[in-house]
Amino acid sequence: MSTTDSHAPQSPAPKSARARWALPLLSLAIGIAYLVAGILGGDQAFGVFGLVLMVAVGAAMLVLSRFSETVAGLMDRRDERINSIDRDATTIAGTAVIVAVIVGFVVQIAQGHDGSPYAMLGAIGGVSYVVALIFLRLRR
Amino acid sequence: MRNTVRELRTKGGLSQGDLGAALGVSRQTINSIETCRYLPSLPLAFALARFFGSTIEEIFHVDD
Repeated sequence: MSTTDSHAPQSPAPKSARARWALPLLSLAIGIAYLVAGILGGDQAFGVFGLVLMVAVGAAMLVLSRFSETVAGLMDRRDERINSIDRDATTIAGTAVIVAVIVGFVVQIAQGHDGSPYAMLGAIGGVSYVVALIFLRLRR
Repeated sequence: MRNTVRELRTKGGLSQGDLGAALGVSRQTINSIETCRYLPSLPLAFALARFFGSTIEEIFHVDD
């Protein structure tokens, strides 16, 4: 068995330590967006609650990452298997949202409405898919 | 596809966590590879082979 440093992969680079903070910081950014939206919309209680909630979500991620390899893997993005699971889970969630948008659009039309906002959401999904398809087709 | 990762690891006195840390993956990933629930990528397969001083063909076997 080879255990020389030249064969063993490097220990986690500082990049993974920075990557670990990406989700909690994103959570904080969303919370700040909720706060600003709440203040602008005249519902400060919603804004404050939203900020507190998203800060709690970010903190929970940091705490859980110490006990769960899955959570830690989702945060530092080093493990290929967890990254693969995350991609598949995102695909399933995206498909669920697309189905909901299509159902919502059809129901809106059946009720004599113009289909908004489902038409716009569906268009965003469709265009995103085509753009991603073309980009990935050229890259791979 | 079968593999001999578990045998090689236990022969070297390593835990799944030890091997995972050495290769930059989680203990769960090592467990999934050993139980044939997860096929490693080519870079990870090469890293496994190099770690054990072996080749991919000697570690991973296609089911006939």
